[in-house]
Amino acid sequence: MFGSKVKLDKELLKKIKMYAKIAGYSSPEEFITHALEKEIALLEEADSEEEIRKKLQGLGYIS
Amino acid sequence: MIRRIFPFLLIALVCAGAGSAADKAPKVFVLGVDGLDPKLLDQFVAAGELPNFARLIEQGDYKPLQTSMPPLSPVAWSNFITGMDPGGHGIFDFIHRYPDSILPYMSMSKVVPSDKSVEVGSWVVPLSSGDVINLRRGRAFWEYLEDHDIPTTIYHMPVNFPPVESGGKALSGMGTPDILGTPGTFSFYTSREVSNARQITGGQVFYVDVEENTIEAKFRGPENPVRRVPRKTRSRSKEVRYEHPDLTTDFKVHLDPERPIVKISFQDRDIVLREGEWSDWFRIDFKAVPYVVEVNAIGRFYLKQVRPDFELYLTPLQINPEEPALPISTPESWSHDLYEALGHFYTQELPEDTKALTYDVFSGKEFWDQSQFVYGEQSRALDYFLKDFEEGFLFFYFSSVDQGSHMLWRYADPDHPGYVEDDQLLSGIRVLYKEMDNALGRVMQAIDDETTLIVMSDHGFCPFYRGVNLNTWLLEKGYVTLRDPSKQGRSSIPFANVDWSKTKAYALGLNGLYVNLEGREKRGIVKPGREHEELLDELERELLAMRDPQNDEQVVTLVVRTERDFHGPEHQIGPDVIVGYNWGYRSSWTSPLGEFPHGVFVDNLDAWSGDHSVDYRHVPGVLLTNRRITLDEPALYDLSVAILDHYGIEKPSQMIGNDCLGDPVTRGQIDAGTAE
Repeated sequence: MFGSKVKLDKELLKKIKMYAKIAGYSSPEEFITHALEKEIALLEEADSEEEIRKKLQGLGYIS
Repeated sequence: MIRRIFPFLLIALVCAGAGSAADKAPKVFVLGVDGLDPKLLDQFVAAGELPNFARLIEQGDYKPLQTSMPPLSPVAWSNFITGMDPGGHGIFDFIHRYPDSILPYMSMSKVVPSDKSVEVGSWVVPLSSGDVINLRRGRAFWEYLEDHDIPTTIYHMPVNFPPVESGGKALSGMGTPDILGTPGTFSFYTSREVSNARQITGGQVFYVDVEENTIEAKFRGPENPVRRVPRKTRSRSKEVRYEHPDLTTDFKVHLDPERPIVKISFQDRDIVLREGEWSDWFRIDFKAVPYVVEVNAIGRFYLKQVRPDFELYLTPLQINPEEPALPISTPESWSHDLYEALGHFYTQELPEDTKALTYDVFSGKEFWDQSQFVYGEQSRALDYFLKDFEEGFLFFYFSSVDQGSHMLWRYADPDHPGYVEDDQLLSGIRVLYKEMDNALGRVMQAIDDETTLIVMSDHGFCPFYRGVNLNTWLLEKGYVTLRDPSKQGRSSIPFANVDWSKTKAYALGLNGLYVNLEGREKRGIVKPGREHEELLDELERELLAMRDPQNDEQVVTLVVRTERDFHGPEHQIGPDVIVGYNWGYRSSWTSPLGEFPHGVFVDNLDAWSGDHSVDYRHVPGVLLTNRRITLDEPALYDLSVAILDHYGIEKPSQMIGNDCLGDPVTRGQIDAGTAE
């Protein structure tokens, strides 16, 4: 369960409930938690992408 | 290992008896000049400025040398090294990508860290050492020579890091990183505000304060392999992630209160420099665990200015050939031998500091001076090798023409959008060719009549007038969909805003175009087989139809499909399509790493003003030799076959070329070269 409340658009909440059921999540909260975790993992991956980019940028052909 | 005596040596042994001079392997000398262009060569020869090239052309044989597609140095040199094309050697560009993450990586080599370690608090104790892997597939032609007991010496061959194991001697070339693991990162210590500091790539700016005529600063070294600290992250996750902090060591700069002179002190060493002066090479020791784990590097300072603002440039820190932190030679001890003979030298892949000029840390003159240091080091090494060249195969590499042609083109081309008038640099490229002529003259003086001489380049050159944002073109054509179109052009993270569920193709690297293929790319949507082929047909048509609205020029003149057009099994790791740009065009500065700036075309105003990442037919290299060239259109992969054939070694089955050299045309007739 969320420790704090988050306001969601009614239409979005309706879709979340529907797809949580279809996808077999035990609750809309579990579905939302899973979706957010995936998004955060992507952002964290972006840090390492920035590091990779810096290493490539010494190459004269790119900026 | 199969060892075979080459046929004419066998004949010589029978005729002359073992133990005579005839049992030495015949000599072949290859002078590899990166970026030597046949059109410019013809022009300077016609003007009477290159007497040694003129003599070799007149008395020997000379033809354009077909380069690789794409005509990028790592690809072209790999064609020469292996006798294959990218389908065989697996190098398609400077940059490749991991299909599951679309993350880019350098195509030539990779470092594999130790897979076993013990973590104790902030310390990581590796239980096994890591490894560096050369990603080029296929055997190098000189490995076959070594199989047949022919001595080989390979100096700075590109795409040979780490050097392949062989019984010969080799020093690595292009692909060799600096001590930070990058293609080259300079340091600039300054008390002035640098407006573009955050945009600088290939360099780092360190702001310093001058207090009582003293400056305290640090050398930044590689990551500490045995120490870890919690990583700063934007995530609010409670999980602690670690990173390795950089190794650093302090130095102090004492400014003379009146004169433009400084003393730089570190590790029991003092260097005195006057404004406008370069230091010699110096060694820096970084201590990961004092007395247990240490890493050393070498660098050179250039004191640009003392007052009103302090400006001190430091070269990218080099792997020290005296005690290399990574394997840069075969045998490993050979780089130390070269250090003993030649002193410290640049070991980084392309040492001319093009980034320092691009970001105005160097003026044109300062870039020229630094390039001349590089040429001077390579030139001294040439003389050293020529002195001891008694038998077998010797390859020697010069980088100055390539790097100079990239950076000095705009001074000699009034049609270039970034044209700059500069009386001295106007003739820069011509001077570089004259220096090569001088080097060739010394080679011609040093070799005997029996030596086969080959002068070759990997590609030629053309201007870089207009950049093409190929990813933006794909977006405009509907092959890419962004998750949030309002954020187009804002992120520099590769493909950060791409909706992969609606994207069919993407561009990465200088010339690569990939299909978002189901089963290969992690979020691929294009089905293999017919759908894939139809998309490739469509992309080929569309690319060839691309026009520049500024002048209605055709932008792409050649489309190569790797699976259809290359030989060998490695096409699966490369792009689906290689884009051959027209003369004057090239991929933009930001498209190769997956950015989507607004607009497809952009004028190139950068100091990097000449290039060659175009349709290969626009930029052939050169082949000059004292033997007859037997093919009408010799290619790089023909030359490797020819060298093997010269020693009586049969062409290996994976090599795709043909012997391109015949009998000596001038044996005993070529006049000795002239050199200063």
